[in-house]
Amino acid sequence: MRGNKSMNIGSKRGAIIINALLLAITIAIFIFPFFWILSNSLKTYDETMQFPPQLLPKTPIFANYKAALDSMPFLLYLKNSIVVVALTLICQFLVIVPAAFAFSLYSFRGKGLLLTLVLFGFMLPQQLTFVPIYLLFGKLKLLNSYSPLVLPFAASSFGIFLLRQYFMGIPTEIIEAGYLDGMNNRQIMMYIMMPMAKSALFSIALVSFITRWNDYFWPLVMTNTQKVRTLPIGIAALRITDGKTEWNVLMAANMLLIVPILAAFSVAHRQIKEALIHSGIK
Amino acid sequence: MRKLGIIILALLATAGPQLFAQTSAKPIAIDFWYSMGGANGALIQSMVKDFNDANKDIIVTATYQGNYYDTSAKIQAAVASNTTPHISMIVDMHNAMFADAGVLENLEPFMKRDKVDINDFIPGLLDWSYYNGKVVALPFNRSTPLFYFNKDQLKAAGLNENGPQTWEELRTYARKLTKKGERWGFSCPIDIWFYLGMVFQNGGEVLSPDGKHSGFNNEIGTKPIYFWREMIDEGIMKLPPGKEYNSWDVAMQDFLNGKVSMIMTSTGYLYGILDSAKGKFNVGTGFLPKSKQYGTPTGGANIAILSGKPAKETEAAWKFVKYMTDTPQVINFSQKSGYMPSRKSAVSSASMQSFFKEKPQFKTAIDQLYEAAKRRPCHPNYPELDKIIMDEIQRTTIDRSYTPEQAMKAIDAAIQRLF
Repeated sequence: MRGNKSMNIGSKRGAIIINALLLAITIAIFIFPFFWILSNSLKTYDETMQFPPQLLPKTPIFANYKAALDSMPFLLYLKNSIVVVALTLICQFLVIVPAAFAFSLYSFRGKGLLLTLVLFGFMLPQQLTFVPIYLLFGKLKLLNSYSPLVLPFAASSFGIFLLRQYFMGIPTEIIEAGYLDGMNNRQIMMYIMMPMAKSALFSIALVSFITRWNDYFWPLVMTNTQKVRTLPIGIAALRITDGKTEWNVLMAANMLLIVPILAAFSVAHRQIKEALIHSGIK
Repeated sequence: MRKLGIIILALLATAGPQLFAQTSAKPIAIDFWYSMGGANGALIQSMVKDFNDANKDIIVTATYQGNYYDTSAKIQAAVASNTTPHISMIVDMHNAMFADAGVLENLEPFMKRDKVDINDFIPGLLDWSYYNGKVVALPFNRSTPLFYFNKDQLKAAGLNENGPQTWEELRTYARKLTKKGERWGFSCPIDIWFYLGMVFQNGGEVLSPDGKHSGFNNEIGTKPIYFWREMIDEGIMKLPPGKEYNSWDVAMQDFLNGKVSMIMTSTGYLYGILDSAKGKFNVGTGFLPKSKQYGTPTGGANIAILSGKPAKETEAAWKFVKYMTDTPQVINFSQKSGYMPSRKSAVSSASMQSFFKEKPQFKTAIDQLYEAAKRRPCHPNYPELDKIIMDEIQRTTIDRSYTPEQAMKAIDAAIQRLF
């Protein structure tokens, strides 16, 4: 009996060690690129070119950050990035939540077709849709404003689909209990469905935030003036045409871009965990 | 009633001059799209500022639009939606495509009227300027490939410090400079630019005289590939890894670290290389080595005016283009950026001549441009052919079961289809 128990503990310990080791490797793989950006952002140009590459700069220099900031109207781009992401998220939630609610709870004529259309939007790549959308906004004289950066993303097919699946997983008993208590549809959506789908909502928000925040192609194509341009364009402008690119400055600019994402992650990470614990859905 | 009159008068007195001033002297707004990031982008902005300060009736707004190909894509979308800028930088080989679509203004009447002599531009850089007898663009930020070598390493190996002059010399130099496992003699991205250079050096042209077939579907086209293959197999040429311009960066990085003694890369890298090599080793530059003759393609971008704007705006746009391509600006831009000076009068200017004494490596690039620059066909379908040649030469250099002869045949077929 005793021997058996200790063996159990032993194998458990082994499993824990293997687990920890695998975790450490995974973390290293994920952390390294960030570490590498940070390290190179503090090197001189010649150090970034050194071979074999050095893990750390000899003496960290912060001049690259100044050079990166000076190379673009940083505050303007930052403001634009924040405005575009915030507006997109607000629009998305105004559209996604009621749409997912309707698709999951109601049955109505043409529901299948509409859902197929939503999924179809999910499958079309940006490169296919940008020309007609550009022409549309050109005709509406809305290029060079926030509109073409926000409106095309106001309805996220991915978000609607994901949230619908999540809503459908909520036990009907809970919803019926709500109706019995005299709640209307809006109240059911806001006070039962949304809190229970907190984790899904956070995931959707996070994915939207990251894709919009990092997007280079769309804002570049849709805007011709600095006024409404976002950070990634300023960073891409640090790549030299026909010549040597100063990777150290580029990496410093990248740090400025990813810090908000990391911050959002660390905040949302806790929220997602909490949401999972309190959601009551297994 | 009197009160009202006074109020109206007062309003007129305060607002009137403003209204008047705005309507009479409102400067013409001109949009200029460019494709240069970093320090060169800042240089463009400062030149634009100088122009705006000197011309109060015009305001040019210069906006970065991504790299050359982003800019071209944006122009295409802008043409379709009628939102084009007045002026744009256009990567050399896309000029014919846009000219063919009829969206580029003919600059010839303006040049004639203002006595801007097109013969003052270096002929090798006018390869994409003429289309159907019209002048559709003027050279602006133009570059060429250049041969770079580590003078100290050549000296230590007992080789001529002027570098190799012929392909065979390049091979023997590379052999002598290679130290197995430590240093390669030579490195060069497998890129159409260097390949076409070698085709030109072999006495070839891109198209046959009738313009319908490949001009190198024979030994002229296969020899460069065999030359590369042999040097790679012998271990004296390093194939720099990486996609597109990443491989260029690797070649430069190896060169700066002394891991490679000789490379071919753009003149655009010259300043960066001189800067980073300072205090470490002496950099020499030379023509791309010859076979039958010297030869090099050119690259970079031109500046063009987009058509379809009101005459007043086109006139203002021309004024700006004239300014940017005028000799003093060409000298300033070339010295600061390292791009080729596009005008003969700029090259012969006292300022440029003394600059050459300071940076003799730069002079080599211009000599090569004068003596050895060859043209690529100015045709709307050339960009597609460019991509096909790139794919074919990369495949046949790496995949040994795909012979250079097969690649040449495929390129010839593409030319017959496209031209």
